[in-house]
Amino acid sequence: MLAEQKQWSSRLFTIVNYSLLILVSIFTVVPFLYIVSVSFAASEEVAKGGLLLFPSKFTLGAYKYIFSTDTMLRGILISIYVTVFGTLINLILTSLTAYPLAKAGLRGRRLFLLMILVTMLFSGGIIPTYFVVKAFGMINTYWSLMIPTAISAFNLIVLKNFFQQIPDSLEDSAKIDGANDLGVLFRIVLPLSMPAMATFGLFYAVGHWNTFFNAVMYINDSEKFPVQVILRQIVLLSQDQIGDTTSQQDPTDYLPQTIRMASIVVATLPIVLVYPFLQKHFAKGVLLGSVKG
Amino acid sequence: MFRKRFMKGSVSLLAVAAVLAGCAGNGGPQTDKPAQQDGSKPLIVTIATPQVGEAPKKDSEVELAIEKYTNSKIDMQWIPGAAFEDKKNIMIASSDMPKAFKITSNATTLAAIQSGLFWEIGPLLQNYKNLSALDDYYYDNIKVDGKLYGLPLYRDTGRAGLVYRKDWFDELGLKLPVTLDDWYAMMKTMAEKDPNKNGEQDTYGLFLDKSFNDPAGSNTFLTRLAVSQGAPNKWGEENGKLIPEFMTTPYLNAMKLLRELYREKLINQDFSVVQAADADNKWNAGQAAIRVNTVASAAATSHENLKKTVPDSIVDVEPYIGPFGNRVPAEPGNNGFFVFPKSSVASEEELEQLLGFFDKLLDPEMSTLLTRGFEGKHYTKTADGKAELKDLSLFNLEVKPYRDSLPSFEVTGQGLPLKLSPLQEKGWEVVAGNLPNVVPNLALTLSSATYLEKGGELDTLIRDAQTKFIMGKMDEAGWLAEVDNWKKAGGDKVIEEYTAAYAKQKQ
Amino acid sequence: MKGQQAVRLQSNQERHSMKQALLLKDLIRDRWLYLILLPGLLYFVVFKYVPMFGLIMAFEHYQPHLGFLNSPWAGFKHFERFFTEPQFWMLFRNTILLAIYNLVFFFPLPIILALMLNEVRQKLFKRFAQTLLYLPHFVSWVVAVGIFYILFTTEGGIVNEFIARLGFEKIPFMLSEDWFRTMIVSQSIWKEAGWGTIIFLAALAGVDLQLYEAARMDGAGRWRQLWHITLPAIRSTIVILFILRLGSFLDTGFEHIFLMLNSMNREVGEVFDTYVYMKGLTQGQYSYSAAVGLFKSLVGLVLVLGANWAAKKFGEEGIY
Repeated sequence: MLAEQKQWSSRLFTIVNYSLLILVSIFTVVPFLYIVSVSFAASEEVAKGGLLLFPSKFTLGAYKYIFSTDTMLRGILISIYVTVFGTLINLILTSLTAYPLAKAGLRGRRLFLLMILVTMLFSGGIIPTYFVVKAFGMINTYWSLMIPTAISAFNLIVLKNFFQQIPDSLEDSAKIDGANDLGVLFRIVLPLSMPAMATFGLFYAVGHWNTFFNAVMYINDSEKFPVQVILRQIVLLSQDQIGDTTSQQDPTDYLPQTIRMASIVVATLPIVLVYPFLQKHFAKGVLLGSVKG
Repeated sequence: MFRKRFMKGSVSLLAVAAVLAGCAGNGGPQTDKPAQQDGSKPLIVTIATPQVGEAPKKDSEVELAIEKYTNSKIDMQWIPGAAFEDKKNIMIASSDMPKAFKITSNATTLAAIQSGLFWEIGPLLQNYKNLSALDDYYYDNIKVDGKLYGLPLYRDTGRAGLVYRKDWFDELGLKLPVTLDDWYAMMKTMAEKDPNKNGEQDTYGLFLDKSFNDPAGSNTFLTRLAVSQGAPNKWGEENGKLIPEFMTTPYLNAMKLLRELYREKLINQDFSVVQAADADNKWNAGQAAIRVNTVASAAATSHENLKKTVPDSIVDVEPYIGPFGNRVPAEPGNNGFFVFPKSSVASEEELEQLLGFFDKLLDPEMSTLLTRGFEGKHYTKTADGKAELKDLSLFNLEVKPYRDSLPSFEVTGQGLPLKLSPLQEKGWEVVAGNLPNVVPNLALTLSSATYLEKGGELDTLIRDAQTKFIMGKMDEAGWLAEVDNWKKAGGDKVIEEYTAAYAKQKQ
Repeated sequence: MKGQQAVRLQSNQERHSMKQALLLKDLIRDRWLYLILLPGLLYFVVFKYVPMFGLIMAFEHYQPHLGFLNSPWAGFKHFERFFTEPQFWMLFRNTILLAIYNLVFFFPLPIILALMLNEVRQKLFKRFAQTLLYLPHFVSWVVAVGIFYILFTTEGGIVNEFIARLGFEKIPFMLSEDWFRTMIVSQSIWKEAGWGTIIFLAALAGVDLQLYEAARMDGAGRWRQLWHITLPAIRSTIVILFILRLGSFLDTGFEHIFLMLNSMNREVGEVFDTYVYMKGLTQGQYSYSAAVGLFKSLVGLVLVLGANWAAKKFGEEGIY
């Protein structure tokens, strides 16, 4: 009787849970469907307005336009480059810094942590940071997109917190086997922290992929612009331009919505595709399962 | 394959980055020595300008042609528009400035100019045949404290015009509106008589967007409408004092018209959140009788866009005519201007050479290049010696960025004349016809310390009140109370300062 | 007497040198740790602390062409002006209310969503749902707000058509003071709640599966497992994120709000961030906006330090 009741409540739990998740997923995907379908639609159909979820006529015109020059493709390649190397730098530096700070016995630890915390709250602004970047000779190089954002204090603090939850006994036993701190970090802690590394790798990668402002500030050569700068320019050119007098003949000759949406799809797809590959690292129970096994 | 190529690319990119990092990566303009002009050595011209469309490649065909004609070496830096102001501040703060810097007039620009960061070019202008031949108002409108520091990116001043659905007007027996009563009648007919004959009430006389009362521009609909009815252009003179447009009766009457239209649902109810692009979509979809957020010379493109959904539509363009005849607000006549920083342009001699470079850009050959491109590639010559654009998308890609960022006159310049369609021709006629009838903004070049400090709040206060008045959230007494608030919050001081500056200017 | 003093002196010295020896011993023991910590600390000093000299501009009349060293000194003038501004209390109220709304309605949602996803056993469904939930994060606010306009406008928007079909009056969602905060918070939830689950899912991945097995043996239902095992396991992550969130308490998301502001909702919608934008970038008053920014940072600092102290009081690890 009791067990049966339990089963029922468990089943109800499952049903409610699934239905809610399906509902929420639909809400989040509708706007995306809209973006994709506008990108494939003819501009006349888009002009009619309303929520277009399935174009009556598919056309690749907008995509052809985007790839008629190599600007977008070049931007994507540059972004991939910056994202891959930048994330690598991020993960190495962040884990190296987070690990000592996770050690309760480390002298000066609280001071260091407070110091890092403060950088989350106070920032000197764009201009002084520019001077530092310039002093290192990084202006107009890709280093300027990777080094000034090498560590995020937020990610560092949360990663430190994750490291702290690894049982000390595991590390101690490795130390008894003669490993030093570096050995423990690379042989025990990092392999156990794969979900965390995947998480922060994703955060960093998305951050690099979305780099826009720093790129405009630090890169002068338009042939070195990453994809978001190119995307923003297109989005800008396809919206509000009433106050603008750029073109003499027609100040409102902006790009059609279809091209705008197609560029969003093209500039977003590569980073969205990263996630499913990382997903296996989020699998449950990796942490302790691998140790016990 | 692809992957391999990319990896190779990455490695070489890394190497390049490393080299650049090693040599301090600072080939910036300030390290260039002033070009020694011994007749043959090309002048080095570095130009920074907001990016227009896709940035052209370095040493593109157009760039090489300009370099050859002007004996120069050009380096264009295209700055994405979305972060232009921040980048400008960084460039000023770090003195990483080009030899010619295209900026627009605002508070930071003004402060930098007043502090003597840029060369004054006024007295030199007379030595250049093309630059000095242009009308004075182009230069007068960008003077700071009576001195000229910039070379404008010339634009027409009287661009307002009514681009409208002639088929609808003819069918319903309507004439273009002259008085505000006419406007009301037109709006009522267009909203109720179903001009597109689809059986639904989905049409409007005009589709308003949120920039209809933008305080910054003389090209907004409310100002155009009010000026046609006798209001000043942003700031006018009354009893020896300068007063803002919204304190005048014709402007208030125009606001009352919109209020009535809103009340009767004869205008889109969501106008204060509509983007210009969405308003254009209504025109393109054949749901609006007049396209108000555009200029006369865009009549032909407006028709092209419309024809995609309504192939048999007829579009025409006419000037704004009010009870006092043709009366339109003057626009500033520029899209920003080039300034020449003292930190990168070392001597007056170099400044003269740079002005010479810009002067040459207005020569017939360069004018043709900048506005038409290359013969055979971008345009073909017609039998009567006019240029006909051949490949518009190629032109937009390769030539337009230069046309829109360097001084040029698209139709009225010295270049090869453009073959125009009848509608295009008519649009340009309207622009030319407006010129003698433009109403200048009297405060355009005046400075007011209070406005510089509080202009943003003051403008927002009035803009919000206008919208609330039109949407019936406040009555006339409420509106007048808001105007009083504006005066107390600093408006009175702005009036005082502008009036004093205006009196001084007139002396 | 003298002898006694000498002894005490000696013992003081001894204690002192013993402490030193202990410190040295610790430093030597942790030499590897300090070595790997060094690059990170250097990074923060060079790229975060050195540029902080720029904060000085909040006390100057900064002009880009004059630089930080030559701009005229203003003292606390900008702060005084800010606190006596007629709009100050409106901005303060709007910012605080929106911040509280965000904290109350937005902050718990990623946790709930993560727990819901965590309960899903069907792997394929889980992956699919996760990917869909993350998608909105990649849409910029300009585009997102544009889509919301299409859905919610009174001129043929699908939501209002539905409301009209039910026989109710259309609601001007985008133009109403009453709906402003609801719209802002629900848009933020739509865009970022799914993305926010990632960090909690990572924390949940660390929960020992054996604990669940043991609980099931004891006859605990799914609610009780959730309450007694899952939640405690991610509690410290929640606490840390909450404290860090307080640090940016007054950041209400400039771009989003700026895009949603219009004449009809400005009374409730104008916040510190949008005000600073107008002052700084469009009117060139950098020092004034820097002063407002500094004020926001100080508020964040007080909240973070307070929350960290409280967390430690309750036996949590805290941040430092």
